[in-house]
Amino acid sequence: MLLKGTLDALVLKALSFGPRHGFEITRWIEAGSQGEFPIEPAALLQALHRLEERRCVTAAWGTTENNRKARYYTLTPAGRAHLRSETASLKSSVAALTALLGAR
Amino acid sequence: MKPGEIRPGVERDFELAVHRPEAAGADGLDELTAMAEEEIRFLVSQGRTPDAARAQVAARLGNPATAAAVMRSAQRRESRLKVHDWLDDLRHDAGYAFRTLVRSPALAATAILTLALAIGANTAIFSAVSAVMLRPLPFAEPSRLVMLWEENPDFHWVREDAAPANMFDWREQSGVFSGVAGYLSFSGTSTLTGRGEPRMLRAQTITGNFFEVLGVRPAAGTALTEADTWSDAPRRLMLSWRAWQNLFGGDRALIGQALELNGRAVAVAGVLPRGFEFPGIDADVWMPVRWDKEAASQVWFRRAHFVKVVGRLKPGLRFEAANAGLQTVVNRLKQQYPVTNVHMGAGMTPLHEFLVGKTRLPLLVMLGGVGLLLLIACANVANLLLVRAAGRERETAVRLALGAGRGRLFRQALAENAVLALVGGAAGVGLGAWGTRVLSALQPAGMLPVSGIRLSSAVLLYALGVTLLAAVIFGVAPTLWTARRVAADVLRDEGRTASATLRARRWGEALLVSQVALALALMLGAGLLVRSYLLLQRVEPGFDPRNVLAVELNLPGIRYDSTRKVLAFYEALEREARALPGVETAAVASGVPLGPPMWSSEFSIAGRPPMERGGEVLHREISAGYQRVMRVPLLRGRLFSDADEADGVRVVLINQALADRYFRNEDPIGRRISFDRVPDSTSYWRTIVGVVGSERQRGLAEPPRPEFIAPFGQDSRSGMTLLLRSAGDPAALAPALRAIIARLDPLLAISSIRTMESVRADSLARDRFLTVLMLCFAGVGLLLGVVGVYGVMAQLATRRMREMGIRIALGAKATQVQWLVVRHGALLTVIGIVTGATLALVGARVIRTLLYQVAPLDPVTFVAVPLLVLITAVLASWVPALRASRSDITMVLRAE
Repeated sequence: MLLKGTLDALVLKALSFGPRHGFEITRWIEAGSQGEFPIEPAALLQALHRLEERRCVTAAWGTTENNRKARYYTLTPAGRAHLRSETASLKSSVAALTALLGAR
Repeated sequence: MKPGEIRPGVERDFELAVHRPEAAGADGLDELTAMAEEEIRFLVSQGRTPDAARAQVAARLGNPATAAAVMRSAQRRESRLKVHDWLDDLRHDAGYAFRTLVRSPALAATAILTLALAIGANTAIFSAVSAVMLRPLPFAEPSRLVMLWEENPDFHWVREDAAPANMFDWREQSGVFSGVAGYLSFSGTSTLTGRGEPRMLRAQTITGNFFEVLGVRPAAGTALTEADTWSDAPRRLMLSWRAWQNLFGGDRALIGQALELNGRAVAVAGVLPRGFEFPGIDADVWMPVRWDKEAASQVWFRRAHFVKVVGRLKPGLRFEAANAGLQTVVNRLKQQYPVTNVHMGAGMTPLHEFLVGKTRLPLLVMLGGVGLLLLIACANVANLLLVRAAGRERETAVRLALGAGRGRLFRQALAENAVLALVGGAAGVGLGAWGTRVLSALQPAGMLPVSGIRLSSAVLLYALGVTLLAAVIFGVAPTLWTARRVAADVLRDEGRTASATLRARRWGEALLVSQVALALALMLGAGLLVRSYLLLQRVEPGFDPRNVLAVELNLPGIRYDSTRKVLAFYEALEREARALPGVETAAVASGVPLGPPMWSSEFSIAGRPPMERGGEVLHREISAGYQRVMRVPLLRGRLFSDADEADGVRVVLINQALADRYFRNEDPIGRRISFDRVPDSTSYWRTIVGVVGSERQRGLAEPPRPEFIAPFGQDSRSGMTLLLRSAGDPAALAPALRAIIARLDPLLAISSIRTMESVRADSLARDRFLTVLMLCFAGVGLLLGVVGVYGVMAQLATRRMREMGIRIALGAKATQVQWLVVRHGALLTVIGIVTGATLALVGARVIRTLLYQVAPLDPVTFVAVPLLVLITAVLASWVPALRASRSDITMVLRAE
């Protein structure tokens, strides 16, 4: 199950390795989490729209290796900065959560 | 196209991105579909059959709500991005504009300085206009307040002071006023003693109900009341806020206490509020008139006109109705008191209009002047920008070719104008703030309300408006130029096509003509004022003001309670002053010409029937040496001597103006005159012993009025002015004089010490103020105009360089080639001069009443100023012509 508020960070992380299209992002998250975080395409697109609006990513239609149309997303410097701060805050949240739930 | 090959965001800049909401929604759905297909391909590659894969994906995405959510989301993103884009563009435009300006600092500095000067001048002048004309008087319901005045065709009186008895009758009988109060038309002084050094306070005398009628409540204590008008009330006064703070440190205990003024105890009734200011009056103490109730029935109470009357109309009463009510009373008084009121009319004017009336026209003229200045400045900046826009047409064309929208280019040009205007405007407001202070400091006393001239919100709003207006005016030409350029022409290197050159020339020519016209109009206006001022300066005042010192004194009646004491003081003063080293001669007089108004009265000549229409004469009292001090010539008869004493024959001198008007064909010497229009057995007759030259009493612009001069020994006054003629600088005598006065009477404060030169100069203060300001504006206008002419001509000369080069190569002389450009400039200047002169003709009618003996169409001004402009313009176009003709022909041809 995907925790609320973590999708944006994961998308940005996925894009931090280079421009990707929607399904590549989905695949990266699902594979990386061993299927723990299933991604709804609609939710992903809405997250991408949100990020584009905030100038964290830019989008452009391109072609895949298989010569098919796909919308590629690129991380902007603003997105990179956003990713850094999100990562930091999520890590500390997770640590706190772990500590709390691990308490005896 | 591989992703990443185009820098992020570039698509949007080139408007390749999706913009319409429907398209954005469809785009979102396309993406959803593409993702689904990718997923199907992926599942197939994982070993699923295509059908199974399709079914699996459809199960997840088949829900119509999902598609709708994606569409909505994509549309929302698009609309929000549009707002972001717009803001980004704005920021970019501003930044781009800013960088462009920084890259050409000379241009930016010139434009900003030009604008700042013009906007600053406008702001400063408008702050004065706003303070004087727009701000309501600081009284309760000021629109109900009117000024009541008297007029009399016999004396050529227009809006003159009223007689107190008439004022009371208007109040009691007209029934249209809820209150009528008066103040004396001359302010006085009062000596404060018993608190350290004696101090001279400025005192304004008023009727007791003055503040009641104005609706001014005291800040502390109580206000004077109607009862204070009369002499049977205890002596009380009101302090101005400033006097209370500065002289008494705002001491509340002072209220109800007595101050020693002119030797008498006067109780402080209250303190006026801080913001109280009555235009034209600057007083420390406000004291009641304290008229004697007995005197109110005497004839002088209706004969002497010395009260300015303020009335408050009853609520809801219209001005016309109130005036009709007043006229009924005025007509009744004419019948009732034929001796004093036979031709005495009266009328009313809204108080604000009356008080600012004389200031309005000069202010509007100044506002007009700075308005012209602003237009010239705008034309200048427009020209600068136009030149640059033309120089940047390649850049513009490249950007158009790369897909930049015309609207975007237009906006960018606008952004540049806005940045220039705002920086210029901000600098202008700063200059204006400084200008308001200069204006307050330099203004002639009483012209503008001292505390009122400041950058109020109205002034700032005006400055903003002026700035935006300026941006529009100077921005139109270069912006249209930028937006209209045809990219293909420029890129095909046809930027210099005939039509483009022609258009650039037209703009430049139009700017040149309008600049010349505006500068000329401004200079003609200033020229008329200067001519008038120079004529005024040269007016013979009828006396010699050089090397004369005037010391004004007022002896307090309580200590100088007899004629003998007053005479003894002034005789001693005159004697001691005459003995001072450096003093040639000295005298005392009850008034000086060009100084505060003198008393006037009617008169009659013995042996002649009473005049059908009365006559007004000014009168003064002087000691025997007055004409020697002031170098006023004796024309007939004799001057006074020390023998003309109280018990001698009553004698009088008349001035030439009186002799010319009333003794045209006879010798006035030996004739007797009286101050009564219809003399009777009680009349007081004086014998004319001499005729002296006329002095201009009320101003250099006004011809001398008929005047009687009586010997001080026979008609003493407590307030006199000591006049000294010195061998050297008269002002140097002041300390010695102060010492003499302090020795004669340690409790006496001096009202004023001035040289007669400064009295004369002060009488021209308003004219000088207006003239100097307009001259400054005109100077700046000319400077900007010259810069503008130079700029345009330099541009035109550059464009003709090729032609000039060819002509020279074909054997034309350099001077012939230069003449081409100069002739062009001169022709344009002449067109501008004709336009400007026409403009000035209209303006000159407006300032006609400000001119002294100068016709609005003054030939000297209307020849000299255009000539000056023409010469300047020819020089300004000759310089670039010279430069262009000397440039290397081969270089020019190659560059083309």
